[in-house]
Amino acid sequence: MEQINYTDEGQFFSGHVACAGCVEAVSLRVILNTVGPDAVAVVPPSCTAVICGGYPFSSVKIPVYHTTLESGAASATGVKRALVKKGKPDTTVLCLAGDGGTYDIGLQALSSAAERNEDILYICFDNEGYMNTGGQKSSSTPVNAVTGSTPAGKSTKKKNMIEILAAHRIPYVATASPSDLNDMAAKVKKAQGMKGTKVIIILIPCLPGWGVADNSAVKIARMAVESGVFPLFEIEGGLDYTMNYSSKNGSVKEYLSVQKRFRHLNEDQISSIENDVDEDWQRIADKAGV
Amino acid sequence: MTQQPPTPLWTNDTSEARMTGTWRSAMPNYKNLPSPCRGACPVGGRIAEWIREIELGDYKKAWTILADNNPFPSIAGRICHHPCETDCNRNQLDETVGICNLERFVGDLALKENWSFPAPTVSRDTSIAVVGGGPAGLSACYQLRRLGFKVSLYEYQKQLGGLLRYGIPAYRLEKKILDGEIQRIIDMGVDVHLNAEVGSAEALKELHEKHDAVYLATGASRSKNLPGLDYSQSWVMDSADFLAETNAEMACDLGKDLVVIGGGSAAMDVARTARRLGRNVTVLTLEPEDKLPAHEVEVVEAKEEEITFVSGAMMQSVEVNGEQITLKCIRVEFLQGEARGQFTINPIPGSEFELVTNGVIPSIGQDADLSRWQDLLNSEGPVISTDKQWQTSTPGIFAGGDVASMDRFVTQAIGMGKEAAFAIARQLAPVSNETSSPDDPMVPYSVINTSYHSTLRRHLAANSEVEARLQTFDEVQQPLSHDEAVAEASRCFSCGTCILCDNCYLYCPDMAIIKLEDGYEVKDDYCKGCGLCVAECPTGSIAMQEEK
Repeated sequence: MEQINYTDEGQFFSGHVACAGCVEAVSLRVILNTVGPDAVAVVPPSCTAVICGGYPFSSVKIPVYHTTLESGAASATGVKRALVKKGKPDTTVLCLAGDGGTYDIGLQALSSAAERNEDILYICFDNEGYMNTGGQKSSSTPVNAVTGSTPAGKSTKKKNMIEILAAHRIPYVATASPSDLNDMAAKVKKAQGMKGTKVIIILIPCLPGWGVADNSAVKIARMAVESGVFPLFEIEGGLDYTMNYSSKNGSVKEYLSVQKRFRHLNEDQISSIENDVDEDWQRIADKAGV
Repeated sequence: MTQQPPTPLWTNDTSEARMTGTWRSAMPNYKNLPSPCRGACPVGGRIAEWIREIELGDYKKAWTILADNNPFPSIAGRICHHPCETDCNRNQLDETVGICNLERFVGDLALKENWSFPAPTVSRDTSIAVVGGGPAGLSACYQLRRLGFKVSLYEYQKQLGGLLRYGIPAYRLEKKILDGEIQRIIDMGVDVHLNAEVGSAEALKELHEKHDAVYLATGASRSKNLPGLDYSQSWVMDSADFLAETNAEMACDLGKDLVVIGGGSAAMDVARTARRLGRNVTVLTLEPEDKLPAHEVEVVEAKEEEITFVSGAMMQSVEVNGEQITLKCIRVEFLQGEARGQFTINPIPGSEFELVTNGVIPSIGQDADLSRWQDLLNSEGPVISTDKQWQTSTPGIFAGGDVASMDRFVTQAIGMGKEAAFAIARQLAPVSNETSSPDDPMVPYSVINTSYHSTLRRHLAANSEVEARLQTFDEVQQPLSHDEAVAEASRCFSCGTCILCDNCYLYCPDMAIIKLEDGYEVKDDYCKGCGLCVAECPTGSIAMQEEK
């Protein structure tokens, strides 16, 4: 059995208010301990903002700057430039945002920062909706998923953020999953060692938002990876694709069936999703030369 | 009026001030429940634990854990009927873990390295007589010596081992393995008396007067007689005699073609031994082929050795014409009864046939000789009656193994010897030797997170080639190599045995699990009770427990 091999250096504290069983907290723990003490976090409104904060307490050992929803990447840019001016060019600036702050409201700031290739490490915790405010749809919500604002299921597909970012030709874009903490830690470490804009999108199965059991988020994330719904891959320089988990042996249908938000799907909708997954997978695999 | 710049809000403490443990209704509990292999094991062996030690490379520790319940790992690794493998959770993913092959690997290594049992830590004046030096008696001797009792062993044969020596052929169990594992028990300080028969109630009573307790494990050495067969004829040989003589390397006088009657393990031993002595062998069984009491692998190997099976039939009469013996047989319908060994048969009219042969070896089971003690010990059917503590109707006299039970596998006898030793110890001295409660549920397959265990076929120990087998009495089953054994050990799920993998610790979203030197502890101030640690445990060692 492969051991999980990152070390907890005490960068993330107990007592935070993430939901019981939330794997965003598990991922934060991996990221913060991998990045280490010489770092500053910039956090727009999101679940992360709630988990890190709760005035007057902080669950994060490094300094955290809470900014506005539309300006995560812009604020991170400012913090990084200020640190450079202050003679601390090696301090890592993390931007920890949700999919609302990345795919929707923060996209302009992120696109601009990426275009300027600002030296920031941007993490998107993608739980496929505005889960912190009661579960409304975002442009990351997958097709047919029920949310508070799409009670009959969302009619459009999930935005392909990874390839939007790749189109900026930034040094590093990757996906990661809480079902593979070694892979996640390795990607954070790798991105931290690079100059310029790095983005890692992490799939976070949301327990109340997706309608799954408290102890099942890792399992659901694993199913997403194994079924090909959420492939684990990296794109370097916008063109160089690598797949990190190159077999597709899980069932899409099973992945959908365990989530309440997909419970209403009919066979046609399921097979249409399966086709999309196959096509996306094949396109990435072709680019990665798998 | 000048406007003041907004005062920044600074945090002044960590979130550890917030006790999220109050959210919880259930908390993880490191239970280490028994694995199904342990539940099935006749000696209650801590199988998952010693297999883990093989994986980690500490073979001596593996042997020590193994020998806790069974002083015969090398023997059991060869001949155990391995119900552990049948119940292994891994069966539901791909194939069972080869537990017996691994047990043999550890057992053989212990013999090769000359590892010995430690001397008892206490010494007691209480003395116990063990009658019968077979698997049950020797197992009792071993456990009683470990507990510090004085032990005298009385064996009516000239060598120890009982069925292991006189009933199991060398191609299944090499004699030097048997000698090695027996000697290691004797070396713990057992007072051995050979050629010492306890043949009557008086002799038993006398023995009881000299000792504080007696353990009777004389086995079942008297063969059941097949009706309609004249045992006095030169072409008939009782199976126990046949095995005892061939195991003692005496010549066999029976002719070229032989019929073995019976479908049990002993019948397979007889048939395969006769094959090695150059005979053509046919096995005649009442049971249809898929219901033979012998272990499947024994039947398969017998067939590989070109033994012919005539199943679902019985002998009705015999015609003798010089060297030529004709068995008049008939096909039967076989109906399994409820209890083990119970059945009814209905001959199928018109299905008569004949088997022509030169000799017959009936092998239809063994009975214990109980008549010699009938004044002293009550019996129940074919065995001595005992209570749950293996005590007979005479207080202070205990019994076990084939003489007191119809559970007739070798390892069941070893288990009974162990249980009786603890029962005797509890009666005679305040010893604590509590094993886990039999009421504990076994770890089910459903709680094993199989995403941490990749599918991998079993590393099966090879058999020697059939042609080579028939030339000698060398062992058929070959050992696993070192690398095969370690790889096989790594297939074990370690059901219910914490392997210190840190998954619970590193998957906790709340940093509520702390690492200790040999385990983990849950911080109840912060654990929110999500159960992620339980879900991601690869061995099913943790369970959620509701809190009141």
